[in-house]
Order: sequence, then C-alpha cells, then structure tokens
Amino acid sequence: MSWSSFVQKAQSLIDPANFNIPSLSSDNHNPSKASLFRQQFRLPDSQNPLQEITADLVLPLPNTASSGEGPRKVNRPGNRYTGRLHLSERFICFSTQPTSFLPSSTLSASTNFTGQTHGTGPSGNGFTLPLSCIRRVERLHSASHVFSLALTTWNGLLNKQQEPNFVPQRLILQLVGSRQACERFCDCLKKGLREGMKEVDNLRSVVSDCYSEYLLSGARGKPLEEQGENARPPPDAGLGMLFRYPGDARKLRDRSKMRLWGEYFRENGRNATLVRQPTFHKLIRVGLPNRLRGEIWELSSGSFFLRLRSPKLYQETLAQFQGQESLAIDEIEKDLNRSLPEYPGFQSEEGIGRLRRVLTAYSWTNAEIGYCQAMNIVVAALLIYTSESQAFFLLSMLCDRLLPGYYSTTMYGTLLDQKVFESLVEKTMPVLWEHLAKSDVQLSVVSLPWFLSLYINSMPLVFAFRVLDVFFLEGPKVLFQVGLAILRVNGEELLDIQDDGSFISVLKSYFSRLDESAHPRSENPKLRAITRFQELMVVAFKEFSGITHSTIVEQREKHKDAVLESIESFAKRTSIRNLGPESKRLSVDDLGTIYDRFYDTLYQWQQHQRLVEEERKRQEKKKSERLSTLGPPANAEMGRVGLGPSPTHMDYDAFREFLAATSKWAVSDTPAGSRKDSQGYSSLRGPNKSLLWANRRQPADHEFMQRLYRKWSTDPEEGLNLQNVVNGLARLKGSPDIMNNINYFFDLYDDSGNGQVDREGILKISEALLFLSRRGFEGTITATQSLEDLNGISDREHAEQNRLTVDERFLGSVSAFIRRCFEYADPSHPENQKAAKQDGATEVTEKLDSFAIGDDEEDLIDVDDNKENKSSPPEASQPAASTEAARHRSTSESANPALDPNNPLHITLPTFRMVVLADELLEQFFESYFPQSFHLSDYPHPAALAASSSLSSNLTTFSNIGSAKPSNVTAAGAVSVAGASGGIVPPGKGLRGVLDNIVTDGIRMAAEVKKRMDEAQRDLERNALGREEDDEEDDEDDFRRGSAAAMAGGISSWGAGAYGADPQRGGVRDADRDLLEGAEVVSVRGKDEASSLLDVKEGADKPDTGGNGNDISAHDAEVVSKVVEFES
Amino acid sequence: MSESAGANAPKPSSSVKLVLLGEAAVGKSSLVLRFVNNDFQENKEPTIGAAFLTQKCTLPTRTIKFEIWDTAGQERFASLAPMYYRNAQAALVVYDVTKPSSLTKAKHWVAELQRQASPGIVIALVGNKLDLTNDGGDASAAPEPENESAGADGDEAAEEGEGHDASSGNARKVSTREANTYAEEESLLFFETSAKTGTNVVDVFTAIANAIPESSLKTGRGAAGSGQTALGARSGDDSRVNLGERNAATAKEGCAC
Repeated sequence: MSWSSFVQKAQSLIDPANFNIPSLSSDNHNPSKASLFRQQFRLPDSQNPLQEITADLVLPLPNTASSGEGPRKVNRPGNRYTGRLHLSERFICFSTQPTSFLPSSTLSASTNFTGQTHGTGPSGNGFTLPLSCIRRVERLHSASHVFSLALTTWNGLLNKQQEPNFVPQRLILQLVGSRQACERFCDCLKKGLREGMKEVDNLRSVVSDCYSEYLLSGARGKPLEEQGENARPPPDAGLGMLFRYPGDARKLRDRSKMRLWGEYFRENGRNATLVRQPTFHKLIRVGLPNRLRGEIWELSSGSFFLRLRSPKLYQETLAQFQGQESLAIDEIEKDLNRSLPEYPGFQSEEGIGRLRRVLTAYSWTNAEIGYCQAMNIVVAALLIYTSESQAFFLLSMLCDRLLPGYYSTTMYGTLLDQKVFESLVEKTMPVLWEHLAKSDVQLSVVSLPWFLSLYINSMPLVFAFRVLDVFFLEGPKVLFQVGLAILRVNGEELLDIQDDGSFISVLKSYFSRLDESAHPRSENPKLRAITRFQELMVVAFKEFSGITHSTIVEQREKHKDAVLESIESFAKRTSIRNLGPESKRLSVDDLGTIYDRFYDTLYQWQQHQRLVEEERKRQEKKKSERLSTLGPPANAEMGRVGLGPSPTHMDYDAFREFLAATSKWAVSDTPAGSRKDSQGYSSLRGPNKSLLWANRRQPADHEFMQRLYRKWSTDPEEGLNLQNVVNGLARLKGSPDIMNNINYFFDLYDDSGNGQVDREGILKISEALLFLSRRGFEGTITATQSLEDLNGISDREHAEQNRLTVDERFLGSVSAFIRRCFEYADPSHPENQKAAKQDGATEVTEKLDSFAIGDDEEDLIDVDDNKENKSSPPEASQPAASTEAARHRSTSESANPALDPNNPLHITLPTFRMVVLADELLEQFFESYFPQSFHLSDYPHPAALAASSSLSSNLTTFSNIGSAKPSNVTAAGAVSVAGASGGIVPPGKGLRGVLDNIVTDGIRMAAEVKKRMDEAQRDLERNALGREEDDEEDDEDDFRRGSAAAMAGGISSWGAGAYGADPQRGGVRDADRDLLEGAEVVSVRGKDEASSLLDVKEGADKPDTGGNGNDISAHDAEVVSKVVEFES
Repeated sequence: MSESAGANAPKPSSSVKLVLLGEAAVGKSSLVLRFVNNDFQENKEPTIGAAFLTQKCTLPTRTIKFEIWDTAGQERFASLAPMYYRNAQAALVVYDVTKPSSLTKAKHWVAELQRQASPGIVIALVGNKLDLTNDGGDASAAPEPENESAGADGDEAAEEGEGHDASSGNARKVSTREANTYAEEESLLFFETSAKTGTNVVDVFTAIANAIPESSLKTGRGAAGSGQTALGARSGDDSRVNLGERNAATAKEGCAC
C-alpha cells in the first residue's frame, strides 16, 4: 500500500499529465468473479459465468467492401477479433478484453476490463447476445482442426415485414482450445439455447419498441425523418418526439449521424443482436443522434437486458401500486415542477406525468432508495430520449450499478465519490489543490452536484447528454475524467480565486460558454472550429485516460471506511439526540455505547444471517436464479448504518447477542457450536468472518431474557429498536433507586398485569435470580450478615460452606426468598381476594412485623427431604376440596400446602418488596448488582474480553457439570436431585469449581421444587382417578421425566440452552431441504425429458445460403471523415 | 440586482459564511430569496446539495458580505450538512411556526452545530411563515396578492398550498414563548419571520451581522478593490446575486439594513 502510494507520488511528480496508477493489486477488496463478469458485460444479477474459452470472432465482410471505398477501410480495420468467449445462463458474450472468470483465474485476469479501455468501455469489441436471439448454431466443417461455430441470429427476422435485401446475421466463432474444452462449451451452449427459446416472445416485444428496428424496416432508401405511410407508428423515442429535442439538429449533424448508425446496424446487427466494432464506440463518442440515443444508452449500460428479462415490469409495478401512497410519492410530487423546467416537455402535463410515473414506479421497486432529490433531474433528462419503461430500467441501472449509494438514504456513494474526486485532484493537480486548500474552498461543495445529477444540472443540456453518452458506455470513471478536465481547462483562472463565491462563478461562466470556440483567435480555421466542449472531451479522455475504472475502485476502497465512519458518527449524534426525554437518564457516553452496541449487534447478526442464508441457497444447488431483476444487488454489504437503510429492529435472537455483549450473565455456558443457530453455522466454510462469529461469546437463552425482550419492546413482532433498548436500560440504570429496580423486576413477572405473581412466577423469579448471579457479583455485593440466613441449606453442605462466599450466601438468600414468598403469599381464590383487598394494607404491615423473626423458620426446601412437618402459613385458608386433597397427600412426602397446585396463590408487589428487603444480599442485588450488571460505557466490551482470552478462561463454564450437557439432561436431573455430584469439588478446580457447585445447587434446588410440584400434581391426578398405586419405579420414571421437562422448560435453560426444541427444528429443516432437493431432482428430470422433445435447430450442418448480398447505398463518406475529425 | 451605488468611503469589509439548516419545506430558500433579492422568483433550479448565494449587508461601521449556503431540505441530504457548515461563522436554523415537528428538528440542528461546527458560531433560530398566523402578516400587510401566490415561496410553493388557504385563520402551532424560551436557554438569536411578506427577514441578517464578533472576521478577504469582486451567480438569466465584472471594483451598498 505504502509502496504503491509512493509510486503514485513519484509518478505524479515526474509527469502529472501522464499520471497513471499502477494496476491494482487489491487485497482488501475482492468482489466475486461473478459480479466482475456481470460488470464487464453489464449483465443482470442473475447471470453467472459458466463457461469460457478463447476464440476468434470472424465477421463476414459486407459485399460492398468490394467497391473499395477508403473510409470503410478506415472504419473497419479488420473483421477478425481475438478474444474470450463467455457463456452464462442466458447470454453468450465475446470481448476483446481478455478476461477470465474461472475459479482458478487470477484477480488481474478477472479485472482486466477495469484498466484502460481506449474508449470501448469494459466490454470491448465483441458482442453480448441474449441466447434467445440465436436462431441457429452450426458446427462448421473445416479442413484444419479448427473448431468453428456459426451463429445465426434473429437479427431483423422478428418483424413480420421482410426488409429488402435482407441478409441474416451470421457470426463465425473459431474456438481455440482442446477438443474437450470446445465440446464442453458447446454442450453448455446447447442447454442454454433450449432455455433461451422460451424467451423469444419477450425478445420480439422488446425489440419492436426499438427505434433501430423501425429505422431499418422503413429505410427503403427513403429519407428517415418522413416515414409516414407505415401503419405502425414509430416507437417512443422520448419526449423529444413531441416537444423537440434539445439543441439544433442541424448543428448536431443529427441526420448524418442517423445515416451512419443505419449503416452500422445493417452491417453489425441492431439492438439485441448488435456486434460492437470500433466504429460503434466512435459513433458514441461523437454524440448520439436524438432518436437512437435512448436505445444506445440502454444497450451500452445493459439496462436493455433488464427490460428484456421482464418487459412488463414497469407497467405491472404501476398497476400493482396504483392509488397507494408513500413518503417517496409526497417527495416526488414536490419536485415535479422543478425538474428541467426550461424544457417545454416538462411544462406540460404529458412530460410531468411521465416523470411522476417513472419515479413512482422506481420508488416502489426499490423502497430502500425510494426517492432522492436529483433523481428527478436525471430521469427528466432520460425521458427526453427514452420511453417511460426504458427510463425506468435505466434508472435502476444507474442506482444499482453505475452510481452505487448515490441516492441512498445516507448518500454515502455521493460523499465517497467526492472524497475520491478530491484525492484525484490532489494527485493530478497538486498546485490547484493547494491553492484551494489555502483559500479555504471546499472542492466537493462545488463538484457534488456534477456527480449527483450527472452534469445535467451544470452544463447546458446538449453537452450534458454528450457526457451521458460516454458515461453509459464506459461507466462512472467518465464523471471523474470530465470533472478533472473541467478543473484542468480552467486551471489558470481557478488559481486566482479567493473564496467559494469566485470559484463557483468561474465555473458557471465556463459552463455557459461551452459552445464557443476554444481557440477563437487562432489563424487555423480548423482549430477555431473546435468548441470548448470538444476541448473538454479531449482533455478528459486523452489527458486523463489514466483514470480508469480500477483507479476509481481502488480509491473508493481506500476512502470508504473514513466516509462511512463520518456518516455513522453523524447518524449516531443525530439519533442519540432524538432519543427523547427518557434517554436523559443515561449519560451521553452510555448512550453512545448503547448505540454502537445496538448497531454492531444488528450488523453482525445480519451478516451472520446472510451467510446462513447463502449456505442454504447453496445447498439448494442454487438452481433458481434471482427472481427479481431489479432491486439492490444480492451481494451488497448490508446493514452498515452508513450504507443506507439498515435494519432498525432486533429480533429476540439479536437481542440475546446484544445482552451477551452487555452483561456477563447473558453469555451462554456452553461453548460455541451447540446452540441452534450456530448449528447451521458451523457447517459453513465461508469467509474468515464466520470463524470470528463462531468463536465469539455465545449468548444464553433464558426465560428472563425473553421477559426482558417482551418488556422492552413496544411490539414484540417487530422487534426492539434503539429507542426501546435505551428506554429499557434507562429505567434500569437511570436512577439508582432500589425500589425502582424491585418494582421493575416484579413487573417483569407480572404476566397478567394485575399486580400479582403466582407460584410459577415466584419460582421463575428465583430461577432468574440464580441465572443472573451465576457468574458472581463482580464485587457489587458484600455480605455482612451472619450465617442465620443459610440455615436452610442441608447439613451435608454446611460442612462445605465453612468458607462461605458471597455467591453461596446468595444461594441461601434465594432459597429463603422462595420460602418467604410462599409463606407470605396470598391465596388467589376470588372470595379470599376480596378480603385480602379489604385489609391488604394492614395485612402487609402485619406481615412486616412478623417478618423480623421469620428468619429462623425452617427452610421451605430441604434437599435431605426432612420437612414433612412444614407448618402451613396462616393466610392459606384452604377450601374444603383442597384440604381433602391435602390430607391425601400428607401421606406422601410433599405436605407443603404452598406447593399444592390446587391451591393457587400469588404475591403482590408489597410482599415482593418486603421479601427482598428482608435479605441483605437480595437488597444489594437489586440496589447495585442488577443495574450494574448491564455494562455500558463504564466497562470494557465483554466481546473484547472474550476475544482476547478464550471464553472458558474468564467465564465460568459448566462443562464439568453433567446437567449442562443437553444430551443427558434426564440423567443429570436425577443425579443432581439425588445430590450425588452436587457438592463435590474436583481438586484443582478452585473458585470456579465452587461457583459451579453453587449453580448446581441452584439447579438442584429449583429442580426439587419442580419435582415436588409435579408429584403433588400427579398425586392429585391419581386421586382423581381413584387409583392408589404407589409403584416406586413408576414414580421414578415419572419423576425423571418431570424434572427433565422442568429443566428444559425453565430452570436450566441457562445451562443447557435451548436444545429442547432444537433437534426437532433442525430435523424439520433437514426434511424440508430433502424435500426441496427431491423436488428439484424431479423437476430437473422433467425438464430434461421435455427438452429432449424440443427441436432445437442446432448442430445441423446445413450450409447457409447467403453469407452476403447486402446492398447498402446510403453511404456518406463525407460524414465519416467528419466523424474522424470530431474525434481528434 | 438591487442597490449598487458607489460607496464614497469604503468601510472595512469582510465576508461571513452563513449556512441555512432546517427541515424540508420550512422556507429556507424563500428566506434567502427575500433577503438577497428582496423579491420572490420562481425557483428554477432545485437545490442539489446546496445553493450558493451572496449578499452584502452594510452596518454603520463595516460591511459584511454574506456567503450563504442554502442547503437542500430532503432528509437524506442531512448527512451532507457537515460539508456545508464546516467553517461557517453563522447559521440560520429555520422552523415553521405552523409545524411543531420542525422546531424539534431545528433543536437537533442547533445541538449539532453547537457540538460540531466551529466554536463561536452565531446561531439564529428563525420561525418562518408568520404570515399564516394572526399576529403575522399585518406588519407588512399583504401586498400584491396574486404576485405572492404565484412565485411566493419558491421551491416550497407546492407544500404551502394548504397553508395559503388557511392563511385567514390562525395556523400557529408553535408559540412564540416556547421558541423564545428555548432560544434564550441556548443563547440563540431568535426571530419570527415571514418570507412571504418580508416581515423581520432583513432584521435577522442584520442581527447576525451585528452579533459576529469583530475578531472572528476575516478582514483580509473581500475588501473593496481586491481581485475578489466576481460574485457567485447561479446563472445568467436568474441573477439572484450580484454578478460583478471582473476587476471592476464596485463597492456595493448592502441590503437595506
């Protein structure tokens, strides 16, 4: 990089005029070969390079050549071109630019066309034929071993009327390569031709709209302009047909140009079957004739192929969205009256109507862009020469290919190209550049409209169209070349300017005098005749011929990050300011962190999704081409804020990623690869990114996170936007108020919204508390309390808890929490509710009074099953039915009425508060740990941590615990309840081992609770069925199943992940895929059978009857020589 | 253009870069047109990026030449704004008194400028379309109604259509007090204007000219007699601004301020 910039500098010093950038050895950008192939031949996104082979293109000499006219020889130096023949799904392309897109080809072979093209554009001499316009392919016998094919096209045959002296177009291709390679190419071509036959109707309808077709069919030696007697009206060649074309047709030599084009078409085919020879490019350079301008723009830009693919798309889009409204439409409406208002066509309803329809249709097909000011000007200009449908496809070619990102919602392409332009000026005209810098003139404020509206708004129309002619052929580099030439031509005057005002005024006056002589005082009349515009073109394309497509690509790549960053920092500032009052509770740094993390997560997530999607497509053998011909390119880098409309909402999975980057507890315990979305992922052999992604922290999936997601989102279907996340975090972190946090937590579990959390909810809260605390408290909680609190923990464990850690104590706190909740819970029966409401307040105070001494009560859960004598809470007055049930159960091990599923109960917020505040650790949990566990700007990005050291080394993992492994949940559940493995700390495990144990305890405890509940439930059922069986084995099985379900359902989802539903899902997906593949096989087979029935005229070595016989009389030698003069 | 009388005693002259920001359709271009041309003309060219205009403003002690960048209103052009407010010494942040959302947007622009633009930038908050309210319009009456409606609000003519119909009633949605309080909090100049009637338009620019600290003026530039007299003009026929002859040093009286 530094070497090449040094070379550049050296070169610009030595000879700034011949400045040339060394061919790019890009390692930082690597577009796919397919996209380069499409770029070179301007093919739709659906096309991929399938076959290629070196070949000679031999064009039969027109018979008029025998007359031996001089100019013809000048025009057509030879009829044999060596180049490369390419085959895609629907196209056969030949170019003298020797490019290769084979997987094995080097980058420079694939980007060959981006270098100097000497005016031919990227596709060089040759042809780009849709396969549908090939009528016949013959294998020619030849004496030597040359493998020759003759392609006969539909050129001129699609019209019903036979043209006089018509000779079918026949192209001879001599393939160079092994016999095998040639055969392979032909096989593939055969297949393509069969497919192509289906599109002949499209071809016919599209071709009939082409002015060239009309021109040739009606030529018959009559003047071109007065074709009146034909029944068919001439095709729509733009508003110019109704309102006159800009400029003086005579001065523009329109008639001569038309004759030249007519002749060119006769010899080289027209529209879809056109063959590019050097004259083609020269004729474009000298300016297109009015009526053919639109058609040639279409052909050279490739938008013709889009139209060919879906000829009705424009009309269908309009019909489909008829009557609908959008923001874009409002914006379009505002600008209709000020789009080239000086052109008469746009002072009429006819012109305005066309403009409205084209802009509207495009805004529907590409909602991401919608409408951007300046598009109105560009489309208005196009419409002078094109039909609505043509303008529609040209616009889409502009937005998607030629001016990427120009009109996007962030306009990053515009800003990027301004940076590129500035750097090119700096390199090619350092003196001027320094002067501008010294005068504090920012070049881009002046040059931006040049690029954004393709000079249409800056130069007089006639000249802007000349620039457009070349632009559509050669691509975006033309804009830069012309821009540089403008500055170069005005260099001296510009060195005198002092400020923006004088800078603008110099250029304004230059543009207004483009038609004047460049050398008004010259003695030489020829020199005097050269206009300033001609001078500009010469400077642009000769002096700046070193500015190639690859120059631009390289420069764009260089500046892209800086430009995107500045846009993104602007967007960030703006959107943080827009977050509203709630966000003020967080610091600006915190907001910035949230913003970055939010969009980073979204971006990463989308990249990930895209890769998964790509993989899926690949597995579908990518038989299906992209259905829509329009829309943003498939391989665009999506999601970056700076690039335009990016996703603004996260779904739950992305939210998990976000949380994992924010809070330690949200990071999964299982190493990468076992979660559901990494499943599809690990199979990817994609770019490096996938590795990074796979190695990143895996987010956990816990019920608590789901609750947070639902709580934060305004519409869970739509996802979370930045505002939701900021508001959510602001409520948690914004005020250091414990009550606020307790209330918030309670709210999370208040499913019915009536201020009550039921038994299930209480258990879930306790699970969440354990989930949140399983990675320790990061020093936010200190225990000063005595051991009292932990008296519920089993004796066996007491032994181990001599060294009591905060974490262990917290476990005890949670255990006590459950106990107290059940103890102070209110029964949920309606009749009792009334009473509860009446004396609710007094009850609460009573409870509080009694609570002070509640600590020494027995714990609800005792792992050693010694709590048969649990006393029932006084509030839980049971209805008769349930007391009976309870009596039944009293014989079993579960006598706790709090666990009786038949005895619904709930806690209210005051109870919850009370229970929390009664425990020091819980109090601290809500006061400091919980809000602080959301790390914003005050804490380094956990992702960075995870990246710097391996996941397992700084985060607790559960790999040593059986229960964390999805595969053996059942066993693990049983084991942990039995308490066999719970307390054992493997030697050398240290603190982590202790932590793991604590968590295991938590799992055990929660599982135990579940178990009791399940058993109670089963008891009930059994009783109801009147069966008194007490089969222990049965019980055990049931129990296992029950606890496994409980684990999967809630408690252990933080450990074991979302495996529960997963294998099933994966299975379904696989099945789907199989099905698809099956379907594909079937359809392919079907097709083969069908196509074998087709009679494809191919391979029949039938000698062609007439290779010549063309009689062209309309030949204007004088004009041809003029053409040459124009060019010089 | 308007006033171009020879100044007998050339005052110190300096140029000031001023940028107009604000939501689409609040009348930015109209304000500038009123200030620069003291008239309305049909806006023949849409604003691509930004339009550049200049106008002089003569104060008792000095002459200020405003170099005005009138930015495009469409939302997506906002990301180009930093290009235009770079090095600006003054900014006009415009909102529409009949549209509360436009004040919110204006506040965002003020915050953006205060954080990102050159320090010491003079910011004026301007509530436009006063003519649509009861208290507006009376000051300058309503002269030549058909002339006004024809080319009145330039590029925003289309969306002001409804506004004109409602001009009989009071369409005000943003109270003067609210905006003024905000302006005081942020120490901004504050005006309510009507580009249509001309109310307060010149006052805004005069106030800005007065508020520019002497020290921040680039006195080396734009002084009479220097090579810099060719002023920017949008085009020959649409002379919104002075189009001076090269090397013909004609000092101009400024606007009527």
